[in-house]
Amino acid sequence: MLLALSIGAAPAVAQGGGKPVTLLNVSYDPTRELYQDFNQQFARYWKEKTGQDVTVRQSHGGSGKQARAVIDGLGADVVTLALAYDIDQIAEKGELLPANWQSRLPDNSSPYTSTIVLLTRKGNPKGIKDWGDLGKPGVSVITPNPKTSGGARWNFLAAWAWALRQSGGNEQTAKEFVTRLYRNVPVLDAGARGSTTTFVERGIGDVLIAWENEALLAMKELGPGKFEIVAPSISILAEPPVAVVDRVAGKHGTKAVAQAYLEYLYTDAGQEIAAKHFYRPRNAAIAAKYRAQFPELNLVTVNDVFGGWAKAQAQFFADGAVFDQIYQPGR
Amino acid sequence: MSAVRHWVGGFIIVAGTATVAPRVMAQQEGATPDSVPLAARVDELEQQILVLKRLRELEADSIAAAAKDKSTVTASGKDGFSIKSADGKYVLKLRGYAQADGRFFGGDDSKAVPNTLFLRRARPILEATVGKYFGFRIMPDFAQGQTVLFDAYGDVNLTPAFAVRLGKFKPPVGLERLQSATDVVFAERGLPTNLVPNRDIGFQLGGDIHGGVLSYAVGVFNGVPDLGNGDGDLNDSKDLDARVFLQPITKGSLKGLGIGIAGTTGTEQGGLSGTTLSSGLPAYRSPGQQTVFRYRTDVAVPLNSVLANGRRSRLVPQGYFYSGPFGIQSEYAVSRQEVRLGPSAAELTHTAWQASGSFFLTGEKAGFRSPTPKKVFDPSQKGFGALELVARYGELDVDDDAFPTFASPTSAITKEKSAGVGLNWYLNKQIKVAVNYEHTAFDGGAADGDRKAEDFFVTRFQHSF
Repeated sequence: MLLALSIGAAPAVAQGGGKPVTLLNVSYDPTRELYQDFNQQFARYWKEKTGQDVTVRQSHGGSGKQARAVIDGLGADVVTLALAYDIDQIAEKGELLPANWQSRLPDNSSPYTSTIVLLTRKGNPKGIKDWGDLGKPGVSVITPNPKTSGGARWNFLAAWAWALRQSGGNEQTAKEFVTRLYRNVPVLDAGARGSTTTFVERGIGDVLIAWENEALLAMKELGPGKFEIVAPSISILAEPPVAVVDRVAGKHGTKAVAQAYLEYLYTDAGQEIAAKHFYRPRNAAIAAKYRAQFPELNLVTVNDVFGGWAKAQAQFFADGAVFDQIYQPGR
Repeated sequence: MSAVRHWVGGFIIVAGTATVAPRVMAQQEGATPDSVPLAARVDELEQQILVLKRLRELEADSIAAAAKDKSTVTASGKDGFSIKSADGKYVLKLRGYAQADGRFFGGDDSKAVPNTLFLRRARPILEATVGKYFGFRIMPDFAQGQTVLFDAYGDVNLTPAFAVRLGKFKPPVGLERLQSATDVVFAERGLPTNLVPNRDIGFQLGGDIHGGVLSYAVGVFNGVPDLGNGDGDLNDSKDLDARVFLQPITKGSLKGLGIGIAGTTGTEQGGLSGTTLSSGLPAYRSPGQQTVFRYRTDVAVPLNSVLANGRRSRLVPQGYFYSGPFGIQSEYAVSRQEVRLGPSAAELTHTAWQASGSFFLTGEKAGFRSPTPKKVFDPSQKGFGALELVARYGELDVDDDAFPTFASPTSAITKEKSAGVGLNWYLNKQIKVAVNYEHTAFDGGAADGDRKAEDFFVTRFQHSF
């Protein structure tokens, strides 16, 4: 109700048009197509409501790198990143938005969700059925670098969570498993879209650990009939968050339109666009409408398994943490 | 950011070489080449080639991205040397110029003024842009055996229409004074420049409205005498200086028309500062830079000298017109100053004006700034630079009431009339060679009537970057 009221109220702020406005949306790697569509739709909506022309520029890259760029001065009016930790960093190190940013929009400021799946070549020649197959000798695995990519961090945690749930699974066996898995990775791209390029266009690897939306995109648009999605027995609920970068938007005088832009993601129109681009919508009715395109998965959450992103980051991805320990060159 | 990219690039290479090799070894463990099907071995090798190609591709991307993020160091003729941050918000520029003159005085039978070669100006310039809104400039002059600070100011550029400048800089008054010393068409500025301030300390609000159709500046300064370059004030009163300049026509043949008016008002009081006399009054020069007018000064008893004694004001209408290779520039200056000598007091009004014209023989467009030659000097490419003919006429008239009480009619002129011609050769954007001749006739200023006319011949070599 509050959201609906605020969307209705936002145009009133700028009623009567005004000079054209430009927003910069700094996002993570695989959201290019989603926001190309969404931006056009939002611009039409905003023009109709307020008479004002809005242009939304997009910047994409590995989520961690994008967060670093915003902290270093990239003038993002809004950020739509792969994981909350990256926006926390913008709040903490850049002091560009308040620490409670995640409570300002519904669903922890994540208007859509996704998860991690496995994409194999047509016929699944290596017989990959679950995470465990990715650690076997002779299987070439494509996944991006967790140091720079938000998607890669989701991939890593999903694999770790699977290992923990195996019979006799514990921190040590999980560590041994991901060590074997990353020994099978010949190329670490900086972002998820780069890994998709490596797997789909360059023909490298037997399996791509991918965002579900990216895997579906590859299946249906990048290489129809060339790939298969393997739904692992367990995966992770990814909640890509969005936020207005208050200090930048304030300086640009774009706060109202930036807020309306993110709120529009929660509307039926915004949720439809998300679903069309293979992101799982939050809206139950629209989620039901698109249920067929999303496989049923047993999903765990970062909070449940790892105690939240701050803990997960410190344990696995900080300098000298687990990833650095298992990914020693030459091992 | 760049550190991350370097790390990623290096990581990719090491990771790739570290992972491809173990895979090959794993494939070979327990399997002789003969036992592995040929097709599988070909597939394996093909994968290795693809991986290596992809790693090279990513390495190239990483290097390109790192290069994009790097700060840049540039050296260009137009902007000097500069260091710029990757986002362009921080720029440090090192610029400068030097002018070497040969000065010759014709008909100077008494050899009162020596013909001389000397360094007229030697000015390094340090300029910086600090973030989006801030900047500064420092420009000393090391010529003529002394060090004088000419510019030292900071700018806050909020919008093109509203900027704040603080420090020491040119007050917004004289048109030719506001033109850079490297851009003026004669070696020395004309007679009206005698009546306007050179440099002063203060703060100014200014900007360009509608892309420069209207430029304005208004500031509060310590206040300096005509032609003065001040580093302090003689009293508590401050001068208010202001200028508006219109370039009203943005299209068509009158596009190069600019007209404006500037003025100053303030109060000046001369007196002793310790044992040093600060009269608060100017001296005026001839085009040959000889002092031709000064107020009476008593070295033995300083307080028997003429002193500034109240209101000082100036009014300076000005304008220019540039059309193709032609250019004309003109200004008129009125300077009023209340003075006293003991019990005698007066308000004296001095005036000066000049008109100058220029024409590029080589077809370049005339303008307020130096031209860019159509062909820079390069005989091998039949390029010889730009040639500009210049001429001017000007007069300076000292208030008759200055004589004999406040100035000596036998040593201070009451009027000078000057006519000059010149040729400027711009070899390129950086190097200019100039030759000027100027004849100046004086009324008064000598024991036997009029000071002898000045025939001033100057050659200049100028290098700016």
